[in-house]
Amino acid sequence: MNTNFSCKTCASADQKLETFISNLSVDTSHHRMEGQSVKCGFGLQGICCRLCSNGPCRITPDGPKGVCGATADTIVARNFLRAVSAGSGCYIHIVENTALMLKKTAASKGVLKGKVALAKLAEIFAVDEADEHVRAEKIADMVLADLYKPDYVKMELVEKMAYKPRFDRWKELGILPGGAKSEVFAGVVKTSTNLNSDPVDMYLNCLKLGISTGLYGLTLTNLLNDVMLGEPSIRLAPVGLRVIDTDYINIMITGHQHSIFAYLQDRLIQDDVIEKAKAVGAKGFKLVGCTCVGQDLQLRGEHYQEVFNGHAGNNFTSEAILATGAIDAVLSEFNCTLPGIEPICDELKIKQICLDDVAKKANAEMKPFVFEEKESQSNDIIDSVIEAYQARRGVVALNMDADHGNDDTLTGVSEGSLKSFLGGTWKPLIDLIVKGEIKGIAGVVGCSSLTAGGHDVLTVNLVKELIAKDILVLSAGCSSGGLENVGLMSPSAASQAGSKLRAVCESLGIPPVLNFGPCLAIGRLELVATELAEAIGVDLPQLPLVLSAPQWLEEQALADGAFGLALGLPLHLGLPPFVTGSPVAVQVFTQDMLNLTGGQLIIDDNAQSAAQTLDAIIEKKRKELNI
Amino acid sequence: MKRIIIDREKCDGCLNCNIACISAHEEGSNFYTVNMLSPDAETRNFIKFDAQKGYLPIFCRHCDEPECVLSCMSGALEKDPLTGHVQYDESKCAACYMCVMNCPYGVLKPDKRTRTKVIKCDFCDDKVDGPSCVKACPKKAIEVKEVSL
Repeated sequence: MNTNFSCKTCASADQKLETFISNLSVDTSHHRMEGQSVKCGFGLQGICCRLCSNGPCRITPDGPKGVCGATADTIVARNFLRAVSAGSGCYIHIVENTALMLKKTAASKGVLKGKVALAKLAEIFAVDEADEHVRAEKIADMVLADLYKPDYVKMELVEKMAYKPRFDRWKELGILPGGAKSEVFAGVVKTSTNLNSDPVDMYLNCLKLGISTGLYGLTLTNLLNDVMLGEPSIRLAPVGLRVIDTDYINIMITGHQHSIFAYLQDRLIQDDVIEKAKAVGAKGFKLVGCTCVGQDLQLRGEHYQEVFNGHAGNNFTSEAILATGAIDAVLSEFNCTLPGIEPICDELKIKQICLDDVAKKANAEMKPFVFEEKESQSNDIIDSVIEAYQARRGVVALNMDADHGNDDTLTGVSEGSLKSFLGGTWKPLIDLIVKGEIKGIAGVVGCSSLTAGGHDVLTVNLVKELIAKDILVLSAGCSSGGLENVGLMSPSAASQAGSKLRAVCESLGIPPVLNFGPCLAIGRLELVATELAEAIGVDLPQLPLVLSAPQWLEEQALADGAFGLALGLPLHLGLPPFVTGSPVAVQVFTQDMLNLTGGQLIIDDNAQSAAQTLDAIIEKKRKELNI
Repeated sequence: MKRIIIDREKCDGCLNCNIACISAHEEGSNFYTVNMLSPDAETRNFIKFDAQKGYLPIFCRHCDEPECVLSCMSGALEKDPLTGHVQYDESKCAACYMCVMNCPYGVLKPDKRTRTKVIKCDFCDDKVDGPSCVKACPKKAIEVKEVSL
């Protein structure tokens, strides 16, 4: 089946994974990189427009404008805003479903595992209801009411959620978002044929989408999930391909909407279901984590020790996880569910079920999640997974790698669990920063890609450079899937940090890279940053804090990036987001943004020099704070 | 001798060969940074579209009997006897443009900004990994092949 079998696979920072994949007989993304190595220069620069039938128009020396007269600046801005709108739409879909789930769970008096999160949200939203289910439903309603507002009506929770100095700046700039779903609509309309041609207006629009994406799609999704699924708590957990246990019926989950699995994951460990598994020769069921929903499950792993076997890997590890032969079914509800898994599932007789049609795979069974039918749906899913197990086990060859990954990744870090770990106050962390024991903080977030040196290569190299400079790294997204599998989130990684950070980590027994879980948890990093800024009494851009999405992959990452810039943070990317063909874009992102929000884009695919740039920014901010 | 051989049927007109050529001649640039709006941005290869024949990639053939060299009075254009490539020495060029007028394929042109020199394929100075346009072609419509005279 591997049509590229003779080709070499791309490099990975994870050497064991690289070897494992290079020996596979199935075709994976890592194999396909070579065939896609020639890239279109116009696409890379963002100067190709295919908005109308006069196109596609490319900006060339002999054709410096599109047929309609659009300049490179207009074309790049339209392409970029379209991408940010789409990315925002993805996250808003997630928070909408999550809020609906909380509403229905609360209305049906379902279990709410996160009492602290519920109290926190009630406080932020100023909801004063004695009954927890009524309180939760009201909170969900408030989120939904904001999401469904038109774009000309501002969302009400923004002011309640945002840090005051940030909110004031956004108001001054006129970028407070209206209803989040409508803002996506507005972004799409604005960028259609012969509509907006003003690049600066479109970039301000991106910031607006960044705010709605960040506060709702990221931050609120986490908090609403915390209410239903339980708050993260810090613990050590196994990661990598080793987590797959062939004695069990294994279900790999992909997506971003953890609450869709809430009922099923509890059901899988009930006696009658375990009996069903035993009847066909397995010990029971296990969920194997993959992509962000796996990271989210890992984050809350404390509550799901029996059913969850651990996080196996990030988006570009998913094909390898399936190729072990020990996965019996894939349940997917969102990205990153690669089309590349489809032929592997066919070949290895792996059952595919999609629970949300936005992630419908071509050869998968569609079973849209319906809250009211979750009991019967879960039973149907369980039965069809058992059927797949019976049809394939013993027939499909196993190709395990018990050596891959490790058993001591520190997980469960969140704004809440980290603060509790520090004794219920941020003061110990602030003291360490003031004393210079921790020079600063870098949020290394976002995706994993196969570019910028290969799978997780830039991410891992950059993180190693940063911790060597005594910069504490917080990670959220598929980046953390890669960082944990190479051992940088194990306490022993402290030895790779600079002497000061190393001493801090060793005395606390923590790694120098803290695992916040899924990309959604970029919202948790924002909460940490805001609480730190509040405690010190400064605005976010003044903090010795930088962001990096070294291997950003997709449109959602661009919406996240817009949030980072709206927060006024320096944001490093390994590769440019298809904007370098526009002088205005380069000027706005790398210079003018400093005056608008305080943010700044830094593009560098070299780990060493990027780390030096980020280090210099942290040093500068420290000086400005007189520390 | 190495030549760029064209397979017209494979060309999709993406112009990636253009961008590669411009980047190869803008020092220190790459596909992300090459300035397509610079007055000095010049491509040495061209894709024309013909309603009947489809895309027509037009590349310097470094001809066996190069009209450009034969018509060059100042000695700026010379055919390298070893590589077979026609090389251009700007310092010797009188900008008479006889080469431009005599090229049977219309591939040579004066530079746009100063009109004092000729823009012509230099086979990327015979780089070991070959000309940039060939590496950038996603369809393999242009390939370097060894030819004998």
